[in-house]
Amino acid sequence: MKDNLLNFGAFLLLYATFFTSCKKVTVVEDNDNEVITTLLVRLTATTGGAFVDFKFDDPDGPGGAAPTIDQINLAPNKTYNAQIILLNKTATPVDTSSIQVKEENIAHRFYFETTIGTNLTISNLDKDDDGISLGLLSTWTTGAASTGKIGITLRHYDGIPPNKAEADLISSSKSSTDLTTASIGDFSVNIQ
Amino acid sequence: MKQCIIFAAILFFGLFSQAQVCTNTVNGHVEDADTKEKLIGATIQILELNKETTSTANGDFVFDNICEGNYSLIISHVGCVTVTQKLTIKKSVHVEIFLPHQKGTLNTVTVTSTKATTTSGFKKELSGKLLEQTKGLTISEALSKINGVTLLQTGSTVSKPIIHGLHSSRILTINNGVRQEGQQWGNEHAPEIDPFIADKLTVIKGVDELKYGSDAIGGVILVEPKALRTTAGFAAELNTVYFSNNRQYVVSGMYEQQLKAIPALSFRVQGTYKKGANSATPNYRLNNTGSTENNFSLTSGYKKNNFSSELFYSRFDTKLGIFKGSHIGNITDLKAAIAANKPNDVFLGEDTYAIGRPYQAVTHNLIKSKTIVETKNGDKISFLLSAQFNNRSEFDIVRSSRNTSPQLSLDIRTYAEELVWEKHKKNNFVGTAGASFVQQNNTYAGRYFIPNYNLYSYGGYYVEKWQKNKWELQGGIRYDYKNIQTNRLKFNGTVIDYGFNFSTLASSINAIYKPNTNWRTNIAASLASRAPQVNELLSDGIHHGTATYELGDIFLETEKAINIGAGITYQNDEKTFTAEVNVYNNNINNFIFRQPIPNEPVLTIAGAFPKIIYNQTNAVLRGIDVSTTTTIAKQVDVNIKYSMLRATNKNINDWLILMPADRVSAELNYTFKNNHFFHDSYIATEVQYVFEQTRVPSDKNGLQDYKAPPGAYTIVNLNASTILHFKNFPITFAVGARNLFNTAYRDYLDGFRYFTDETGRNLFVRLKFSLTHSK
Repeated sequence: MKDNLLNFGAFLLLYATFFTSCKKVTVVEDNDNEVITTLLVRLTATTGGAFVDFKFDDPDGPGGAAPTIDQINLAPNKTYNAQIILLNKTATPVDTSSIQVKEENIAHRFYFETTIGTNLTISNLDKDDDGISLGLLSTWTTGAASTGKIGITLRHYDGIPPNKAEADLISSSKSSTDLTTASIGDFSVNIQ
Repeated sequence: MKQCIIFAAILFFGLFSQAQVCTNTVNGHVEDADTKEKLIGATIQILELNKETTSTANGDFVFDNICEGNYSLIISHVGCVTVTQKLTIKKSVHVEIFLPHQKGTLNTVTVTSTKATTTSGFKKELSGKLLEQTKGLTISEALSKINGVTLLQTGSTVSKPIIHGLHSSRILTINNGVRQEGQQWGNEHAPEIDPFIADKLTVIKGVDELKYGSDAIGGVILVEPKALRTTAGFAAELNTVYFSNNRQYVVSGMYEQQLKAIPALSFRVQGTYKKGANSATPNYRLNNTGSTENNFSLTSGYKKNNFSSELFYSRFDTKLGIFKGSHIGNITDLKAAIAANKPNDVFLGEDTYAIGRPYQAVTHNLIKSKTIVETKNGDKISFLLSAQFNNRSEFDIVRSSRNTSPQLSLDIRTYAEELVWEKHKKNNFVGTAGASFVQQNNTYAGRYFIPNYNLYSYGGYYVEKWQKNKWELQGGIRYDYKNIQTNRLKFNGTVIDYGFNFSTLASSINAIYKPNTNWRTNIAASLASRAPQVNELLSDGIHHGTATYELGDIFLETEKAINIGAGITYQNDEKTFTAEVNVYNNNINNFIFRQPIPNEPVLTIAGAFPKIIYNQTNAVLRGIDVSTTTTIAKQVDVNIKYSMLRATNKNINDWLILMPADRVSAELNYTFKNNHFFHDSYIATEVQYVFEQTRVPSDKNGLQDYKAPPGAYTIVNLNASTILHFKNFPITFAVGARNLFNTAYRDYLDGFRYFTDETGRNLFVRLKFSLTHSK
């Protein structure tokens, strides 16, 4: 019986060592590194001048407070160089997600869709390493004064290889949505 | 069937007589290992001498004029596992043989069980031949062989069991005596257990549930390994399985020994390696559906006089690929994927073992020690200590291929202690009392799914069983108190901490009446209560795969279920017909379920996501399970199983979502006669028909599901097996097919039914080598 007690004691000791490893933890949330909180459209007139940023902003990520969205104000009959910048504000420091899009350019593509009557043409999208449209950079050309909407969508190609093709539609089942402004009615565009 | 142990006690007598050549007598006695019944008509064979005899009415047999030498004794009996025993003859010898049951059907179990201490009102087992047929499958797939158990799947790699419509935290899984504490939150979190550990899988409901928790609303699954060797010697086993569909191979080995020098000590090591490539539906192969598994376990036992102690360690380690085409960006993508009748070709056609994103990597470590001391008056006091370390990492599809970190990592640690006092049977009464303490800690990293938390749980129970003549009465009560402290420190400094306290009560009564050997009836009533889980209280985020935004509710209350069940079993005298019927009515108040709120989409930068909240209602689940086995001709059996469930949301008088459809299956089994080389040979064909689930929530309050349930389907499976005896070295050889006719179908309870068909034809070959050496 003495041996038995010794055995028993050994188990208890072993067990006690497990317990010491169980402490209360308070860790700062390391949020999803895939979250994009903010989309910036940075427009610079080809005629020169300072750039203007228009943003789609959801700084607390999915859920919580609803995103806010700027109205894009443009001058008529003008050409702008556009750059898309994506940010993750839940990361510290703020992560510029568009850098990853640039790195993985053959697996990403931006689509720009304007409503009928919006005198805005988006062209000259920059190309990925395979020479297929990417859209981080583009040229925006306005016509006569008008109002309307523009939707911006980033599609991610999940296949390996991505098999991205110029003819792919926004709804291609080869790709899935990483980001779209469509959820809250897109950017309003005011050309005047 | 009780323990599948071969108690092979060889008793020598005539110790002082001189060994004489060829005048030895071998006499012996054969008993049923479970019921201790004397077995009449068992075949006893001395392989080397080609001698055969059958046992008498008292279970006795005798061989005369046996020469000195080493022999193999093969003992077989209808419905029992064939036992091979090595025998060294130097003098006349007496052999005691205990034959375990072969078929793990409930019918055989309940009819033959006589021990009041172990029977329960509702109990279904999978062991022996039926369990053997499932070798190489996951533990959930194995359990789905039991009538009333169905599968909840997320593609071909992830599956979890559903008992009578209930799953996840409503089912307790007891792995070798320890309540499994892993990540059972979601539909795509499969149990982390190596099925090769199990010698027996049991589903119980009723009084015995109380020993494991007050929250077993759906039932308890017991995963029980074989008991350690009790006689000196060693045994080894090697299982290999190959599946054609995904080129999956499985190798599982086991070695156990009891040392002659230290008879009190016995041990076993066991390990499994499994690797599967992408699996194929009848018309296309799904990329990234491979899986690997590395499992290991070590058991050692020490038994001396009235003291016994067991130390058990197991490690489960798996990596599961998730079909790429199921990665969904938002509701628009999901609708597009559903509208297509097959996934895009870029996600199809690769035949490789490689696993890429998205995938899950899960490890589960369990350490357990159990010590039992038997007191002078026969009471047993046992003390169980266990520690479990579970990690689940989910690797989503990411933007950057340089990203190697998981997007979600959950670490859950559980420490449990349990003290049980089992009283010695006295005046037909057996009482068991227990107390338990559990401490659990969860931390997460990456995507928010559930918060960090510390949980403390205290519980106590008392179960009393009484048995006399034709009656058995059982009753018990359990109380648990749970304290949960959660904390979440958000990236922007917001602190979200909550504290919860839950008290849960459970009780159960059960009456069994056996008027004669043909009939057995039982009726049971149980109250079970389940405290809301952390995910139900505090979920807050996008659920990829289903493209939903899930929101918990901190005001959820405890679920309370009153389950009334009745069962009846019949077996005729000739044992050519057995039938079993079980009915149940599970009335669950405050039933927690996921309620879609179709008119309030959550707007995110990735698009709109339908909102799903955790809600409560009063529900009732009622159903019936029927099974029969008929011997229609010599050596030909037919097994028929039928299972039906109706699950209602009483508050709105509607059906509950995601409930198993009715199903019926028939199996034709032909058993070959044993001969010199081939034993226990059979060939079986199973036809399974699953009805279309037409009982789903109506869309009158908005869309409840994205797609109507798929239609009914029929699949045919094939199983054939034989045991070859090379001297003392039995080899089990089995072949078969699942979905023999390569039927394309979708199952309502598979989350991937939105995207793909189920797995097509899968042929398999299974080999088992066993080696036993006694000394």
